[in-house]
This record gives sequence, structure tokens and C-alpha cells, in this order.
Amino acid sequence: MKTPDIRQRMLLAALLPVSLLSVLLSVVFLMASFDDITETYQLRTRSVARQLALASEFGLFAGNQQQLQTLALGALREPDVRWVAILDRQGKTLVSAGETRGEELLPFSSFEKQVFDAQRLLDVLAQPVFASGIKLDDLYEDASKLEPGQAVPLGQVVVKFSRQSMIEQKRDILWLGGLISALGLLFGIVLALRLSAGVIRPMMRVSHLIERIGNGDFSAASRIQAQTPDRDPLHDLQENLIQMADRLAEVQQNLEQQVSTVTQALREKKEEAERATEAKSRFLAAASHDLRQPVHALGMFVARLAQLPHDGQTRQLIGNVEASVRAMQSLLDGLLDISRLEAKAVQIRLEKFPLQDLFERLTQDMAPLALDKGLQLRIRPSQVWIRSDPALLYRILLNLVGNALRYTEKGGVLVACRHTGASAQATIEVWDSGLGIAPEHQEAVFKEFYQVNNPARQRGQGLGLGLNIVQRSCQLLMHPLTLSSRLGVGTRFQVKVPKEASELVTTLAPVTPEQQIQDGLTGTVLVIEDDDLVRRALVDLLTSWGWMVAEARDLKSALELIQGGVLPGLIISDYRLDDTLNGILVITQLRQQLARPIPACLISGDTDPALIQAAQAAQLTLLHKPVRPAKLRSLLRHLLMDQRDPAGGA
Amino acid sequence: MTQRLRGFLLGLALCLPALPGAAQLLEVKVGIVPSQASAPYVEATQALVSRLASQGVPRDELEIWSPAELAALPVARLSGVKVWVALGTEAATALAQVQPKVPVLNALLPRSSFERVLRASGRRASARFNLLQLDQPVPRQLALIRLALPKARRLGVLWGPDSLPKAPVLRSLASSQGLALQEARLDEGTSLFAALQSVLDSSDVLLAFADPLVFNSSSIQNILMTTIRAQVPLVAFSPAYVRAGALLAVYSTPTQVGTQSARWVLGVLANQALPEQPLEPDDFEIGVNAQVASALGLSLDAKVLHQALKRQEQQP
Repeated sequence: MKTPDIRQRMLLAALLPVSLLSVLLSVVFLMASFDDITETYQLRTRSVARQLALASEFGLFAGNQQQLQTLALGALREPDVRWVAILDRQGKTLVSAGETRGEELLPFSSFEKQVFDAQRLLDVLAQPVFASGIKLDDLYEDASKLEPGQAVPLGQVVVKFSRQSMIEQKRDILWLGGLISALGLLFGIVLALRLSAGVIRPMMRVSHLIERIGNGDFSAASRIQAQTPDRDPLHDLQENLIQMADRLAEVQQNLEQQVSTVTQALREKKEEAERATEAKSRFLAAASHDLRQPVHALGMFVARLAQLPHDGQTRQLIGNVEASVRAMQSLLDGLLDISRLEAKAVQIRLEKFPLQDLFERLTQDMAPLALDKGLQLRIRPSQVWIRSDPALLYRILLNLVGNALRYTEKGGVLVACRHTGASAQATIEVWDSGLGIAPEHQEAVFKEFYQVNNPARQRGQGLGLGLNIVQRSCQLLMHPLTLSSRLGVGTRFQVKVPKEASELVTTLAPVTPEQQIQDGLTGTVLVIEDDDLVRRALVDLLTSWGWMVAEARDLKSALELIQGGVLPGLIISDYRLDDTLNGILVITQLRQQLARPIPACLISGDTDPALIQAAQAAQLTLLHKPVRPAKLRSLLRHLLMDQRDPAGGA
Repeated sequence: MTQRLRGFLLGLALCLPALPGAAQLLEVKVGIVPSQASAPYVEATQALVSRLASQGVPRDELEIWSPAELAALPVARLSGVKVWVALGTEAATALAQVQPKVPVLNALLPRSSFERVLRASGRRASARFNLLQLDQPVPRQLALIRLALPKARRLGVLWGPDSLPKAPVLRSLASSQGLALQEARLDEGTSLFAALQSVLDSSDVLLAFADPLVFNSSSIQNILMTTIRAQVPLVAFSPAYVRAGALLAVYSTPTQVGTQSARWVLGVLANQALPEQPLEPDDFEIGVNAQVASALGLSLDAKVLHQALKRQEQQP
């Protein structure tokens, strides 16, 4: 049931007493009236019977039937009288008048009697007729002889009265009473409505006001104030309310001001922080770019140098230089990876593949490193198929194994995949017998540039980016990564990857670079590079590999070369050139000029995520300086193979 | 009743001139027994006592008892009484039972009641137990009718068991005076109205004799109405009937009865004997209902009639 609102409650409060009073008064009035009517009726009937009895006295004494008949007829004219009979002292009917139906008589008696015939609503009154005595008070009358009450009646009068009219009268009174109480109630309702409206309206108005203030409309108060007369019953309450609303508005304004001040300060801080981050990124990018250029060139020079004949001492020196350059290059690769992950430029390409493929590449890439360090790298073959991004997952494994080898002095590193038939996941584990990570450092090792026990940041121990890259990549792939380690015993990393049903494939025997070279993939390569040193190194390296090389500083010189008859089979362009054009545009224009989709790749020292995305959009392979000679060689081979067999894409 | 009587008697004793010092010495000589303490008995007692006192009987020689007290009195207390006066039927009955050896004068009761007392006690009227009757002598009543209604020739009478003994006297007197008598006898079971109607049809005047069966408080109203309708005047025997609507009545007042009784008491005290036969009242009063009289076209005066009747009776 719905709770009555204030209007209904007011009406109820006003109407309930009125209604109760009205009903009560009606009931009392009706009861009193009914009593009166009944009493009047009783009195009247009795008095009619008595009067008739009195009047019949002499007629009965004299036996005058004519007179009695007149009396009976006279009595019949009285209201409600239906039947009259006068009986003599023996009970014999002398005269009767009225409806003859069912005139059964009361037994003769010297007392008044009354019987009610409920069926016909008739009151039958019997009244004995006595000779009216006169107190003689004389000495002749023998008092002992005449006992009072033993008087013999002269006869009896029987009168039947109908209650019909009394009942009708009562009904009329009932109607009247009902009408009066209904009118009273109606009057009460109208009055209550009128009076309560005077109270409810201001209350409703104040209630609405509160509601609007609650909704924040503080100006409603002053508007209402203007409309309200001073003699309003809730004037004071409303005044206070308006005052409150004003105060609230004031407080709110203050608060808003404070909040906006604080917000402004926060925004400034945030912008400051963003600027700092941006500056850091810019610095990193710039630093890595500027660092890349010489390292890139250095790598290529060292590669070229290594191809020349040397004596043993020089060759050892060159080997050391090569190792140092490789370390520097891998550090720069880590930085690049971080940049790409931070730029969210890494696109995941999930596919189904056998894990063993990755393991084989891992063996190829990492075995020499382990051998150098005198460690044992064991990669347990696995037949499981998984769903992941092979490139990213390989990067993860490469980082984990590299990390393991780096921090292991003796013993070895074990890579294995464990999976049970029931489980939907396979767990790739990388074990080492290295230093181990203390529990307090186990969370921190995943942070950027964090290195346990390397406060001096010794270069050979890397930059501390590897685990950060691993963690970010795992998060990206949604592969859970766990670490468990005991100090001095070793460390185990676990990566959980979704398992797939294994398929039987005929794996082609991998083609070795030596074979490719023997394929004689040679031709003219157009190198566009504004940095003379880098261009020189690249040209030297390519020439040593057997390529014909056309070199240009910029688009203009490149176009001149082409007009001069050079027909490049491949274009390698630096991204950032001197003029306003970048590598992507240069390659596009050259392709237009030659009217051929010549295979091309970009080399850049920038780790700017925008550049990475732009290169991806242009479907150009982007190599980051410093480019390792082996990597470059492999890429070139791929590009040419694609050119020859577009359907066999890599 | 007894309490009230005692209260009244005490008041009476205080009013009377007492003879100081003689109270203890003198014996009660007159015993008075009123039936009730109602007005007529008190009036009669008062008249009796004052008459005796005025005739020299000391107050101490009078004693008043109620019938109940009388029955409870020791015989020794009654021994000195020379004469008893019984007022009313109950007193007469009580004294008849006590059977004193001195004369008893019964007064203030009709002859018929006295006869009943005699019958009940097995006595006879004598000098020892006699009556001063309340009934007026028949000649007096006839004389009154002749005086008041000289034109009346037909006399109607309703006899009841008590009044019937008067019939022979009336018949002889009526015939001697030339009055035609219309009689009807009423017994138990006879319709009063029928008898009355038969008498009234051929009467000029209806003479009533005391008889409880015929004339009583419940019948008198209808009888009077019938006579008035029949235009026949009723001559009655008590003032109450006159008040109720009778034309005339001749009667003795209690004072007159008391006074007459005192005369006989004095006689007894003076050693005279009471007569053997019941005494008739000497003095009387006449009552007239002026309204009934005027309705009948008569002009009657009670005093004139009284004087005329007195004068007639004093003539030899």
C-alpha cells in the first residue's frame, strides 16, 4: 500500500473527527428518535385503548350496543387502529369493527394485556373495563366487604394497532438522519479541503523549494520569495530556508573555486610531468639516434675489416672490437624494444605454430654466446603447438636466455616446455644456475634499468632492460609470467602460453645463409644516405658482399643516377634525410619514377614511435641503426626472394 | 394505625381540662372504642368526650381504646367500666367478643351491620348491647321527599339483601301517604342496570336505602348516570352521594351521633337502663346538590328543608 502523502494525511486529520462526530451524532439522533417514536406509539396505543375502555364503561353497564358500536367506529378512526372489539364480562363480543381477518382474542382478563403479532405487525391491546369508582367515604360501606383489586370488570376492550406507520416513520427518520449526516460530511469535506489547502499549499511550495535546492537550483529560493505574501503561514520557515539556500550557494561557490584552483595546480603538475617524460623520451630517442649512427657505421667497418686478411694478433683485436660492437648493438636493441613497447607500436599477430621452431632459432642465436662464456645451454626439444605471436615470444625467450647466460658464471641454462595433456596451457621454463635473485628484489627486477648488484652499471651486464621487455611483452600477449629464485642456487622464469592441437607438417629444411649467398643474389643496390661516414661504411660492406652499389646523398642525386642509367634492384634509404623529404617519400617517388615496386628498406637511427607506425603503414621494413651486418644481409636476401616469388612471402 | 390513634388520643387528653391529683384514685367508668382513627370516628369521639365532660364526667373516668388494644387488655382493667361505647362495626365486633357485663352502646354503624355483628356473636339486641343506628327513620325520608318533591307520586326503590327488612315499613307508609311504590329486588347475579331501568321507567323519584350490594363506590357512578339520563332524582342517605350527584340526602353527622350517644351514656351512669330496641338518630342534616337540582329545574335549599322537617317532626 502506498504511504499517504501530506495532503492525504491532512485531509484525514481534518475529516476523521468530523466523520466520526457526524456518524456518532446521527446514530444518537436516530436512536433517540426511534425511542421517541416507539414510546409515542406505545403511549398512544395504550391511551387509545384506555380511553376506549373508559368511554365504553357506561355502554357496557347499560348494555347499550348501539353506543358501543359508535365508540368502536370512533376508535377505528384513530391512526394505526385496525380492529376494535368490545366484550362483555362473560367474554362475549358485543361489537367489533375493522378488518375481520384473524380476530383471535386475548383470554378475558381483569388486567391490561398486550401481545405482538410479528407476522402481521399488529399490536393487540386488551384493556379491561371497570366501573369507575367514587370514594364515598361513608359509614355505610363495609370496608371489610369490598377488597380493592377484586372488582369485577364490566367487560373488555380489544384494540389492534398496526406498526406499519411507525415503521415507515422510522424509515423516514433514518433517511433524514442519513441525509443530514451525509450533508454534514460533505460540508466537512468541503471545509477541510478549503482549510487544508491554506496549509498544504505553502507546505507543498516549501517542499518544492527544498527539492529544487536539493537539485542545486539555489536561485529558486529568491524567485519564490518574490511570490510569497508576508502573511503566509510558513513565511518564517521559508525565510530560513532561503537563507540556508543562500549560504549553501555561497559555500558551493567557494568549493568550486577551491576545486578549480587545485585542479589547475594538478593540471600544471601533470603537464610538467608529461613534459618531463616527453623530454626523457626525446632525450632517449635523440641519444639513441645519435649513438646509432657511429655504432652503425662502426659495426659495418668492423665487419668489413674482418673480411680483410690479418695476422693473428690483429685478428684477435678485431674479434674483441666485434664483440664490443655487438654488445653495444644489443644494448641499443633493448632501448629500441622499450621504445616500441612504450609507443604501443607493437602489433600482435597471434598464430598457431610449433614451439620447436622457436627453440631451434634460439639454439642457433644463443649457443655461440653460451659457448663463449663456457656455459652449457640446453634446450629440450618440444612437440607442442602453441598460439602466440612468434616474433614477440621469441624476443621474450631471447631476453630470458640472454639474461640467464649473463648472470650465470658456471653450470648452464636449461630451456624446456612442460605441458600436460589435460591442461590448456603449456609452460615454457628457463632455468639457470646463476646468482639467483633475493626475494626483496624479485619484484624490482622487472623495472626498467634495474640491475641487481650492479650499482656501478658495468657495461657487460647490460642495461637492465631485458626483464622489463619480457614483462611488457608477456602482458601484451597475456601470457602469465612467474619468477622463482633462490639466492646462490638459480632462477626459474615461467611463461604460460595457450596450447594448441599439434599438426603434422612437413617442415622444410631451413635454408642457411651460405646457401643463399651461393644462390648469387646480387645486383645493384641504391643506397641513399646523407651521412657520408655511414654511407661509406654501408657501401663498403655491400660491395664486399658482392653487390653493385649506387650511392646518393638525397632524392635529387638519386634521381640523377637513375636518369644516368642506373637501374637499382633494391633501395636502401635512410629515413631522415637532409632535405625536407624523408625516406618513405623518397622511396615512393623513386618507385614512381621507375614505374616499378622496387624492393626497399628503411634504415633509421630514430626510435620515434611515429616513424615506426609510418613505416608499417608504408609496408616498408625499418631497420634501426646500428644495423648488424648479418641482419642486413638476411633482410636483403628476403626482399629479393619476395621480389622473385611474391606468393612465397615471409 | 395504632400509632396514629395513640398520637391523636394523647393530643386529645392534653386538650381536655384534667382534674389534677384525681387520676390515680378514680376508676375508668366509660370505655370508648372507635373502630378507626379516621375523620368520622375522631369527630364522633370528640363530640362524645366533650359532651360527657360538659356534663361533669371527669376526663380520668374516660378511657379510649382501639379494638386491638381492647382485645389485649387484662380483665381487671375492664372491671371498673360502667358503660362502653363502640363506634363503628369493628369496635362493635370487638366488644361483642369481650362480652362485658355492663351496658354497651354501639353507634356510628347502620342497622344492617349491627344485625350482622349480632348474628356473628350469637347475641340479641338488648339493654346490655344496644344500637344507636346510623340509618334515618323511613318516615323522615318520606317526609323529606314530600317536602322537596311535592309532585312526586311514584317512588322507586331497589332492594338489596341488607335493605329488604325495611320494605314492609316503607310499603305501609307509602300507601298511607298515597305514594305508588316501584320496587325491584337485586340479588347476586341480577343485572343492576336491568333492575334500575325497570324501576326508573315508572318512577318520579328513586329512594336509596343503604345496601352494599346495590349502592357501592363502583356502582354509584353508573347508577347516578342512569338516573340523570332518566331524569329521575335520587334521594340518598349520605352526604357522599350528594357530592357524587344525588339530589338530596338526609343523614346524621358523627358529631350528632357522638352527642346523642353521650346522652345515653350519662343515663347509664345515672343508673338508667338502655332501651331494649335499637335507637334512631334524633338529630339530622340535609344535603342538596344544587347543580343536579337546577338541572332538574328544582330550587331547593338545605336549611329551609331542614327547618321544615324539624318542625314537622316536633309536631305531634
